[in-house]
Amino acid sequence: MTLVLRRIVPLVVMLILAGCAVMPPAATRPAASQNSAVVALLDKAHRQSAAGELEQAGANLERALRIEPRNALLWQELARLRLDQGLYRQAENLAMKSNGLAMGDRTLRAENWRIIGQARSGQGDFSGAQAAFQRAERE
Amino acid sequence: MKFSKIFRTGRKSRRRKTAKKKFWQRLTKRRLLVVTILAVLLLSALYVVYLDFTVRARFEGRRFALPARVYARPLELYQGLRLEPAELVAELGLLGYRKASAPREPGSYRWQNRAVELVTRPFTFGDGPQESVALRVTFADGRVAGLQRLQGGASLDLLRLDPALIGGIYPGNNEDRVLVRLEEVPQRLVDALIAVEDVRFYSHRGIDPRGIARALVMTVSGKSVQGGSTLTQQLVKNFFLSAERTVSRKLNEMIMALLLEAHYSKDEILETYLNEVYLGQDGNRAIHGFGLASSFFFDKPLMQIDLAEAALLVGMLKGPTYYSPRRHPQRALERRNLVLSEMAESGFISEQQLLAARTLPLGVVERPPRGTSPHPAFLSLVHRQLRRDYREKDLRSEGLQIFTTLDPWVQQAAEKVLSRQLQRLEQGRGLESDSLQGALLISDTQNAEVQAVVGGRYPRFEGFNRALDAQRPIGSLIKPVVFLTALQQPQRYTLATLLDDSPLLLQQPGADDWQPQNYDQEFHGQVPMSTALAHSYNVSTARLGLELGVPEVLANLHRLGIERDLPGYAASLLGADAFSPLEVTQLYQTLASGGFRTPLRAIREVLTFDGQPLQRYSLEVEQAVDAPSNYLLTVALQDVVRQGTARGLHRYLPVELGVAGKTGTTDDFRDSWFAGFSGDRLGVVWVGRDDNQPAGLTGASGAMTVWGEMMAELDPEPLLLPVPDGIEQVWIDPATGLLSASDCSGAVELPFIAGSAPTEAAPCGPKSVGKSLKNWFERIFQ
Repeated sequence: MTLVLRRIVPLVVMLILAGCAVMPPAATRPAASQNSAVVALLDKAHRQSAAGELEQAGANLERALRIEPRNALLWQELARLRLDQGLYRQAENLAMKSNGLAMGDRTLRAENWRIIGQARSGQGDFSGAQAAFQRAERE
Repeated sequence: MKFSKIFRTGRKSRRRKTAKKKFWQRLTKRRLLVVTILAVLLLSALYVVYLDFTVRARFEGRRFALPARVYARPLELYQGLRLEPAELVAELGLLGYRKASAPREPGSYRWQNRAVELVTRPFTFGDGPQESVALRVTFADGRVAGLQRLQGGASLDLLRLDPALIGGIYPGNNEDRVLVRLEEVPQRLVDALIAVEDVRFYSHRGIDPRGIARALVMTVSGKSVQGGSTLTQQLVKNFFLSAERTVSRKLNEMIMALLLEAHYSKDEILETYLNEVYLGQDGNRAIHGFGLASSFFFDKPLMQIDLAEAALLVGMLKGPTYYSPRRHPQRALERRNLVLSEMAESGFISEQQLLAARTLPLGVVERPPRGTSPHPAFLSLVHRQLRRDYREKDLRSEGLQIFTTLDPWVQQAAEKVLSRQLQRLEQGRGLESDSLQGALLISDTQNAEVQAVVGGRYPRFEGFNRALDAQRPIGSLIKPVVFLTALQQPQRYTLATLLDDSPLLLQQPGADDWQPQNYDQEFHGQVPMSTALAHSYNVSTARLGLELGVPEVLANLHRLGIERDLPGYAASLLGADAFSPLEVTQLYQTLASGGFRTPLRAIREVLTFDGQPLQRYSLEVEQAVDAPSNYLLTVALQDVVRQGTARGLHRYLPVELGVAGKTGTTDDFRDSWFAGFSGDRLGVVWVGRDDNQPAGLTGASGAMTVWGEMMAELDPEPLLLPVPDGIEQVWIDPATGLLSASDCSGAVELPFIAGSAPTEAAPCGPKSVGKSLKNWFERIFQ
């Protein structure tokens, strides 16, 4: 029972926190890139991701990153994809990488911290996750 | 013994004895004969059963060993890509596209001023097949301005060309082939084959007694030495038997041919024959089967060859070297025409077709498409990475398609510059010619894809690969790791921290005394950390490393990507440990990508021979260094180029690019290193001698010149560092390491992790007495 409490309660807390930290509507986001090739690849990756073709979506995000290796949003997309794949360690590191390139984009950074929080809780690191969600709030 | 007893018991009367003896003799002879015949029959039967087993086992499992095919990165075209029309045309040349006045066929193009029209070849990538596209690429200001379809003019966002083949990983016997199915083989080729090699192929049962008789007559009468072998026999010979010419081998061949025909259809036998035969040689690569021969000689798929080309290929069967159309075109032409005549004689073609085909040229492309790799050093890195995941046997036989990260233009520039620059260094410094060697690697700073590997100054030579296998002490290339270890403790160390560069003597029990010296044989007293790194001072670095602890520095080295365990001596702090250029590239990769360790990758994905995705090597990153520390170190490495040991790079690259780098020189000038990065590329260069004798070069006078020349050719992007949170710029007085101001003489602006900058002011610093006086004087004299 105590074990269940120890495992479940933090998870529930995490989920509530994560729920509070939902992204603002996507309509307010600026275009991912000025480069139409990058936009096309990103659209393709989104379609593939929605269709469950996660590996292919990843391959196309990498193609986009070859064109714009310093585009923080693309790194974030890859982080989110890895999160969907359950590759939490990669998701966390890719979101950190995105943060390193995000400069002053606070919305982007907040979203990265949310991804980091989810990735950490996926790895069972609940206190780390909580810290990340709090960082997201502060951005 | 038994027989003599029988004889002895029979000595009763002479007659009886004789009769009996004769009877016995007859009986024995007959019995022996019968036994012998039976034994021979039994053995023969067993032998045939054995042969049958061999034939069937081998033929059932007739999976030809298909080499792995290795491709360069595909060029992606999109609006805004930095590319000149000439560069696109060069890429198309590499892919074997042909010039055409109006490109319609896949694999053709036309270049007119600022536009290139081309029709791409269909190709299957990891994400599925890509159809052929006809498009116009326009250019402006050194960039791609647009991509439009030739039909309708719709614009395209992105187009991926088919990738260049850069080599193969061949079976042990170096056989190369492209498998074809019988339905892909043009009828005219089969007709030619049957007309020349085996007219009664469809009617005999494996051997052709009439053919043998004819061959025998011809041979005995001395007219010619004819084989009389059927296609089936030829296949058996290639498949199962050695090349020796003995009666027993011939007998085996006939039996096996009969067996093969008994078990398999004519079509199966023919298809196997078409894929098996030897048709040419390309270096040590053996060209097998009509599928590969068609691309090797005509650079097109077998389906597309015409009558004359089919006749040429069939004609070459008799002697692929003797009738080689590249080396002996006249001989090959005569042989081809003979094949055509035989086809006409057998009624496969009309007299008109014969006349028309005879007048055609050979149609052989001058240079065969690539087989053996022009870049063996890169290929060996690919091979090594593949061996972690695949069995050697599968790599050499399963026909895998390997998509690599090689950029053919970066690779070519790197090869050219290394060879040229080593020669120049030898000439300029009066060194013995051919005494210097070198190696280099180039990778993408962000995704760690390896774009080029050069293993020596003769890049086509597949010998010792120095980029991967030469282990050399790295000298000062280790210093950034020592300084990084310090900068990760901002409460103790900043770029302004003064280091002690006075004489150092380290005495340890059981080890020789250690007394590091500076390159200029002088000591520099108190120097700020940024200066110590920029000028690569040994003594202060060694003292700093000892203060931090050798194990701590080596732990950081591991974190940054060096996988081997090192014993860890004090001398390790000055780069006494040996690493390969590949290992150094991994180390600097982490620094170049903002502190994220990303395993160097030479392979993107692997497909099966029929285009099914097998494995993807995806981009993985792991933060190894916190962003602020990595930023401080990178700024210090930019300073090495701006005003330190690598300032000579300005002869090759504009200062504004802000490239970061580090020189490395080892004892007695045995090794000359340079590692550095721009915004888009990381390069690591080693120069030295194979016999490890002094090369007489410092990092700056040797490897750095190669690096500079090479980067200049690659038109690098500037290194613009995103400033992490919590970094502040502060003016410092380098002599004291204390606060200063922009208008104080000698003051330098350095980045600090927030809260770590000195608070005490130097004489000219803000609010200092000196500053107030200076301001006062300035006011008076203004």
